[in-house]
Amino acid sequence: MKLYEKQRLEIILERMAAKRAGRILEAAGVSGYTVLPALAGFGGETKWQRDADISASRDMVVMVVIADAAEIDVALDQMQDLLADHIGVLNVSTVQVMRPDLF
Amino acid sequence: MAMALETLSSPIILFFALGLLAALARSEMTVPEAFAKGLAIYLMMAIGLKGGVEMAANPLTGEVIRAFGAGIVLSFALPLVAFAALRLTSGIDRVDAAASAAHYGSISIVTFVAATEVVQATGLMPGGHLVAVAAVMETPAIITALLLARQANAAGGPVAGSERGELLREVMLNASVVVLVGALIVGWIIGPEGFEPTKPFFVAPFQGVLCLFLLDMGLSAGRGLRQGWRQLDVGAITFGLYMPLISAAVAAALCWVLALAPGDSALLITLAASASYIAVPAAMRLALPKAKPAIYLTLSLGVTFPFNLTFGIPLYTAMGQWVGS
Repeated sequence: MKLYEKQRLEIILERMAAKRAGRILEAAGVSGYTVLPALAGFGGETKWQRDADISASRDMVVMVVIADAAEIDVALDQMQDLLADHIGVLNVSTVQVMRPDLF
Repeated sequence: MAMALETLSSPIILFFALGLLAALARSEMTVPEAFAKGLAIYLMMAIGLKGGVEMAANPLTGEVIRAFGAGIVLSFALPLVAFAALRLTSGIDRVDAAASAAHYGSISIVTFVAATEVVQATGLMPGGHLVAVAAVMETPAIITALLLARQANAAGGPVAGSERGELLREVMLNASVVVLVGALIVGWIIGPEGFEPTKPFFVAPFQGVLCLFLLDMGLSAGRGLRQGWRQLDVGAITFGLYMPLISAAVAAALCWVLALAPGDSALLITLAASASYIAVPAAMRLALPKAKPAIYLTLSLGVTFPFNLTFGIPLYTAMGQWVGS
């Protein structure tokens, strides 16, 4: 089966900043992204878990986007600024997809 | 003293203590997130409806207007006191101090509900308009905190991806404000007769639902305290205990000057002394994302909320009786 190379951007980000990240991705021209809830974790000397915060303001989400390298590059500039303010980590990897026209 | 003992042995406080101790003992017990959100919506609907129905039955008097004015002034002014106190007595930086101060100008609706039960048990009858006063006290504190943070350019420029009006939407249209104010308006429109058919759902089960919610609040407070206490120095923890007393004293003086009734005074003092842990934390993540949530949430939910629930409410009720006209 023929597979096509794309870039996969994954951000673990505080829920309150997810809409801002979404706007950055949309402005960069990606065709779609997915937001998943994160259950618990540890970072910055602090353990966190989803059920522990009644305000849900400290909830974390995972955003996944697969796109062309050019679009990911455009998004990364803005993401760097976003993560200078908001809690989150980001990674980019190369993946292979079956239907490149979807991305 | 009798009132304090009665409060401490009430089911809502005991369930809160159960949750708090379970979390501190590292129990895995949790109240499912969606269920807890449902409980919160039920409680806010019930409070708003009852307040609206009472407002419909009573005319708009000068005292009602004075109570609204006092609430708005307190919410704007108390963050200034909280900010100065934090900067003077703790090692917390300007942005964290501004974000924490916003929590102490805004209000805790659960503390308000628990205080309403205690105040009514003492025979004082607070007006239904106090629910609306609670709603208007949610937001002015956020504006003061933003001004405090921006005074030293500590808030920085616009965050990447932000858009005009998003903070205003979060502050004015968050779930608690929409449900509380919406239910208040519904209650005001339907009046006592229209409320009658819904009473079995909103009045009789209220105490039981409150117990369940307080169990979850205890778990939240205990876990927040366990996870965030390392971020707080002694000055900050002490602030979480003395700031509600300062707020209560300022509010009591205002109630006395404005000649508010004892029941209304007791609840207004409680509102001033309480600290937000639902609406303001979410607004702060948007407005001041560099502020550390472990500091302001641990202070408001882990330190001040348990203090108010156990020792504060009987004290504020007594203060209301003392200064009220």
